[in-house]
Amino acid sequence: MEAVKGISFAIRRGEIFGFLGPNGAGKTTTISMLSCLLEPTAGTAIVAGYDVVKASNEVKRRIGLVPQDLALYLTLSARDNLDYFGRIYGLRGRALCQRVDEVLEMVGLTERAKAAVKTYSGGMKRRLNIAAGLLHRPEVLFLDEPTVGVDPQSRNAIFEHVERLRDEGMTVLYTTHYMEEAERLCDRVAIIDEGRIVALDTPRKLITDLGNGIIHLGIANGMADGILGRIRALPEVKNVVRFDGKIRVEAARAQETLSRLLELFNSTDTDVTALEVLEPNLETVFLHLTGKRLRE
Amino acid sequence: MLHQILSTTWKDLKILFTDISGMATLFLMPLMFIIVMSTALQGLFNTGVDAQPRPLPVVNLDRGEYASQVIAALDDIDGIEVETAWDEETLTREQAEMLVVEGERSVVVVFPADFSQQIAARAEDDDATAIVELITDPATSVQLIAPIQGMVFGAAERVAETEVTQARITAGLASAFAQLPAEMRLTPDQITIEMDGASVVALEQVAPAEMEIEVEPDTYQQNVPGYTVLGVFFIVGAMASSILAEKREGTFRRLLVAPLLKPILLAGKILPYYLVNLIQIAIMFGAAHLLFGMAFGDPVALIAISMALAAAATGLGIMVAALGKTDTQIGGLTSLLTLTMSALGGCLMPTSIMPDFLQTLSRFIPHAWAMQGFQDVLVRGYGLAGILPEAGILLGFAALFFLIGVWRFQFD
Repeated sequence: MEAVKGISFAIRRGEIFGFLGPNGAGKTTTISMLSCLLEPTAGTAIVAGYDVVKASNEVKRRIGLVPQDLALYLTLSARDNLDYFGRIYGLRGRALCQRVDEVLEMVGLTERAKAAVKTYSGGMKRRLNIAAGLLHRPEVLFLDEPTVGVDPQSRNAIFEHVERLRDEGMTVLYTTHYMEEAERLCDRVAIIDEGRIVALDTPRKLITDLGNGIIHLGIANGMADGILGRIRALPEVKNVVRFDGKIRVEAARAQETLSRLLELFNSTDTDVTALEVLEPNLETVFLHLTGKRLRE
Repeated sequence: MLHQILSTTWKDLKILFTDISGMATLFLMPLMFIIVMSTALQGLFNTGVDAQPRPLPVVNLDRGEYASQVIAALDDIDGIEVETAWDEETLTREQAEMLVVEGERSVVVVFPADFSQQIAARAEDDDATAIVELITDPATSVQLIAPIQGMVFGAAERVAETEVTQARITAGLASAFAQLPAEMRLTPDQITIEMDGASVVALEQVAPAEMEIEVEPDTYQQNVPGYTVLGVFFIVGAMASSILAEKREGTFRRLLVAPLLKPILLAGKILPYYLVNLIQIAIMFGAAHLLFGMAFGDPVALIAISMALAAAATGLGIMVAALGKTDTQIGGLTSLLTLTMSALGGCLMPTSIMPDFLQTLSRFIPHAWAMQGFQDVLVRGYGLAGILPEAGILLGFAALFFLIGVWRFQFD
């Protein structure tokens, strides 16, 4: 089965690049290929200047992965976990001890550093999971759905950590299926669905391109064909599409278009069976591009 | 409440049966154990069954006729099949010793050249004793030797007593009649024939000349290696479960993103369990030494065989980790392999009491070689050179298990 079907993108140094897509879209597969866990069947990928297949060790030295699974030793303490992962990356002695202290401080776990990880809350475990990926000061950090199952407070803390890392010059590839996260954090976002990138730009640009709003209309059978042309002719309307027995109207300004639509329906005696105004956000962009919702 | 219990039970049964192969091993394990143990022990429980006779090699050096009578009597005993020839040649003492040294047979009976002569002499000389030698591997358990001792002694003593009694009656009557005046009659109470109650036959248990004996085997030297080898292989389950947990929790995935070679990662997983094995052996043998005064034999040889054994056990751990995909599968495979192999390998009972085909099968089980290595050191007094074959074979098993494990291993 092809999880990823010919994707191409470039991430700028020091940006947070979002990979937004529903579960099973190919986000984790892409990260697996970029972090040398999975060899691509075709094509090339360059990370931090090195080919992931030909120079995987050079890539591995420069990347950090925060996997979707917690990937921690639950019966060990946070310090023991970090100590072990640090040693795997070649840190020793005083340098290791100092770095462990730093990352513990960074994720706010210094006080609970000696407690077994199994006693931590979900948010604390997630923060430790991130800390383990930062020990060796990677140039590129892959964060694979780092906020799954996390309470809002811990989620905000994670956002702050990620922003701070970006400000320090780290390049971050952040996968998520939460559009709010992509909108808030990411400098640029690639929207991925069924193994293909369907859009790539800044969140603002993606939303603006869509227009200021989308209106979904349900119209009684037999009346839709006649009304379509008249809707298209309305000012501010950018596009009109029929889908699943409904009509989608993409408009520059949703509110004005809505009142014009109602006038049109009154004057033409059109029976409207459903009406929905969608917010201008990445969720709507995704829906517009794929015809599906992110969390379907 | 009952509904909730039943619902939970049904749900868990469904989960359990989604892992068919794991469940299969759970059922297969006790079945295998029953089959192996029953087959292996049939020699102990079915001694009177002609269909499964126990081979008993006999070397007859006797210049007289009595040893042949004893051999015929032994051959008549149900469950015993006397072997007086090997490779279609009459069995010699040297061949018999080699059979014991090579582990083909655990006991050989030898009738010395003067066996008949000593029996004949007993009628005149109360000190004359007919010796029967039992050549045994010192590591053979008393439970196995004792019945054979009983049968050989009983058969020899019956033949000897019959002959000695007849000779004494004949001599006594001849003596009594010789002293009588011709006209006198003799009533039975006037005839006295002196018989002593001492045995005519004596058994002498000896070890083959090639086996250097330092100490006589005791119960600890039989049991401590057995349960140690059994226990050492329990590491398989712990090791395989730990590797499975690394896969499940995603820690392997995290580690593989680091600049770390897969063989290094595997070595890191093996080494702690290897060390645990060595500590396990040290504790078991140390306890046997402190509590029961069990002698160690050559320490270098003991360490060498322990290290080779631990390598085989951890190698098997990697193999099980590679083959088992779930906790249930690993649990089942571990129980199946460790218990079956322990039984076949002679940890629970000596392989010498098992039927021939199981004894042959045991040559393909690391436990059997570990047991032989330990007993070479503890009982037979071998040094490093003496246990090198067993250590080498155990390392061979380790390499085989490890290669299969690495071949089938998946890191995620």
